[in-house]
Amino acid sequence: MNRSPTESVSSTGSDELLGKAYGGLYRRFVTLTLVCSALPLLLVGWIIYLKYASFSNERMVDYFQRKVEYNRRIVELFIGERTRDLELLGATHSLEYLRNQENLEAVFAAINQRNLYFEDLGVISERGFHLSYVGPYDLMPNDYSVTFWFRGLMEKGIYVSDMFLGYRKVPHFIIAVLRREDGKKWIFRATVYTEALNSLVESMKLGRSGEVFLLNRQGVYQTNSRFGAKVMDKASISMEHFQNDSGIRIIEPETLPASPPPVRQIMAYSWLKEPHWLLVVKQDYDEVFRDLNHANFWTLVFLHVSLFAILIVSIVTTRYMIKVIRIRDQEAQELNRQLLHASKLASIGQLAAGVAHEINNPLAVIMTENEIIRDLGEEMKGLDEGFKKELLESLARVDSQVERCASITQGLLTYSRRSKSAKQTFDINGSVSETVALMKRWAGTTGVSLETDLDERLPPFHSNRFQLDQVLVNLIANALDAHEGKRHGIIHVITRWDSKRNGVEITVADTGVGIPSENLDRIFDPFFSTKPSGKGTGLGLSITFSIVKELGGDITVRSTVGEGSEFRVFLPLESPPGIDDHAQPIGMDDTDEKHQRPCGR
Amino acid sequence: MKNINVLVVDDEEPFAVNLSKLLTRRGYTTATAENGLTALRMIGENPFDVVLLDLKMPGLGGIETLREIKKKRPEIQVIILTGHGTVDSAMDGISLGAFDYAMKPITIRDLQEKIDQAHERKLLEEERMRSFVEGMAEKP
Repeated sequence: MNRSPTESVSSTGSDELLGKAYGGLYRRFVTLTLVCSALPLLLVGWIIYLKYASFSNERMVDYFQRKVEYNRRIVELFIGERTRDLELLGATHSLEYLRNQENLEAVFAAINQRNLYFEDLGVISERGFHLSYVGPYDLMPNDYSVTFWFRGLMEKGIYVSDMFLGYRKVPHFIIAVLRREDGKKWIFRATVYTEALNSLVESMKLGRSGEVFLLNRQGVYQTNSRFGAKVMDKASISMEHFQNDSGIRIIEPETLPASPPPVRQIMAYSWLKEPHWLLVVKQDYDEVFRDLNHANFWTLVFLHVSLFAILIVSIVTTRYMIKVIRIRDQEAQELNRQLLHASKLASIGQLAAGVAHEINNPLAVIMTENEIIRDLGEEMKGLDEGFKKELLESLARVDSQVERCASITQGLLTYSRRSKSAKQTFDINGSVSETVALMKRWAGTTGVSLETDLDERLPPFHSNRFQLDQVLVNLIANALDAHEGKRHGIIHVITRWDSKRNGVEITVADTGVGIPSENLDRIFDPFFSTKPSGKGTGLGLSITFSIVKELGGDITVRSTVGEGSEFRVFLPLESPPGIDDHAQPIGMDDTDEKHQRPCGR
Repeated sequence: MKNINVLVVDDEEPFAVNLSKLLTRRGYTTATAENGLTALRMIGENPFDVVLLDLKMPGLGGIETLREIKKKRPEIQVIILTGHGTVDSAMDGISLGAFDYAMKPITIRDLQEKIDQAHERKLLEEERMRSFVEGMAEKP
């Protein structure tokens, strides 16, 4: 094999194309996996999330609504009970009895005995003046006939006022009942402790940010608010929001006063029947929905973590799959290549045998014709000696060319009948050493030295020794040829035990001219040669390849132009069955001849 | 004159004729046959010492012809001469009793050597046979 100094091996063009193809496959797999697994998860996750949020929201709103209705009934009950207390006292005690100061004090003490709800108690005449009074203020001289509650009482008979300052100049509200006795009207009036109402309403507050308060129709606080507003302060919120008997609203921050800091709030309200006050229950939206938001947050976290996990698993799985596919593809490609090569060799083998036979017969005829002419020439008398000499030389040249043709056909025949060979047990290092010694003589004065590095652990080898020698001779001869034009060089022959594959690896590395990358795929093809015409048949490496395959091994080559080549032959410890142990060993080229000699008995 | 009768059996007529001529010039008595049947017929009629037998022939092939020769005239030495070069068939021939085999093209000198060796073998075997027969005859 002749080699030319061009660039190194490793063709990467097809690798790049293959890499792109696997990249595309990788992307398609990842996308498909994500679409098939992540999309349904995302869809179901979001549907569950939205449904759960909607359901929870409805439940919370319903709860808030029920809470405000419940609280309204408590406030109504509280005021109603105080009104009925007053009515009962008025009905069970006469004016005569109650206008007596001591009696009124006794009644006052009695109704405040269990709970201190009433701040004061007074009996007022039809004309608006106190007839008797028990309480902390001096209200006896006051004329109530001009007050708003007095006029309201005269119309309705029972009157519960809004918070007002009155003669005492302190925020309070009163309950008054109109009594008729013997044609005379009189008024039984009580002031309920503002703090009692405040405490009751304040106890209804919710959570950290919740507050409950009462407003009258004009939006004036009837109780203190938790966050700063006092009784009789004007509320900043517009009463237009509370047109219905009850309702619930989400209040955005911009509609709220700056203190406390504006946040989104949920507010439920309900109007009391008597007095016509508005009970408001208010709480920060975030606090109301905190548990729900918390659950939703973790639902979303779980959903996205799951998506991320799917993505990672998808990428890792796909990478692994692509890696496996790639390895399988490479193995299949290698197998295909070998099958193709083997099939090519088989076809060429058949062809070679046929061609060799067809050529050998005419060659035999030519050779005999030559002999006849030579005989005639020698027998013919009177021939000019010069002519005779020239004739014999010419015949010798014909013989030489016939022999050349014969050697080519012998190569072809060797190629086609390699399979018949004998197995034996032998020391592979011994075989290598002998072949190297033989080839050293051949190397002669070429300036190329042969060096061996033999693994002493090699076990006895059961195979065809002759074929192994042939492989070594071919590879070393090839390595010697590779140094043509170089003054010095080294050929290393190395044996190594391969425990993984249970066989031996033989390396023949040279420092020759190397093999151009475009020729690397073809060097094992029959008749491929870069040597000048007449110098090589192109069968050496092809035969080597076939023998190695036949022995159940493989052969690889690495080469860098200008630096040299390395052939690695792996041979299993036991060559595969099928080799005819009784057949005669067959050689090639120069060694062929001796095996074509008679096997006479 | 060597007094060795050689039969050249080959369907390649020019080769058979040339070989016959060359051997005749070198003192052998030769004849040619272009196929196996003719060869068997001629062997029945003439006392050949050595047969040069081509393996690939139309009709009766070389191996079958060899088998028949060895049946009829086991003392005749057969040299298989083939252009096909498959060792299998040559080895088959050896196992059937052929003396030797050679690949075409072959030089006349090499062939002469083989023929002479074959003739010597024939003479040796005849001598051995004669001694055996005489030995048997001497026994009471």
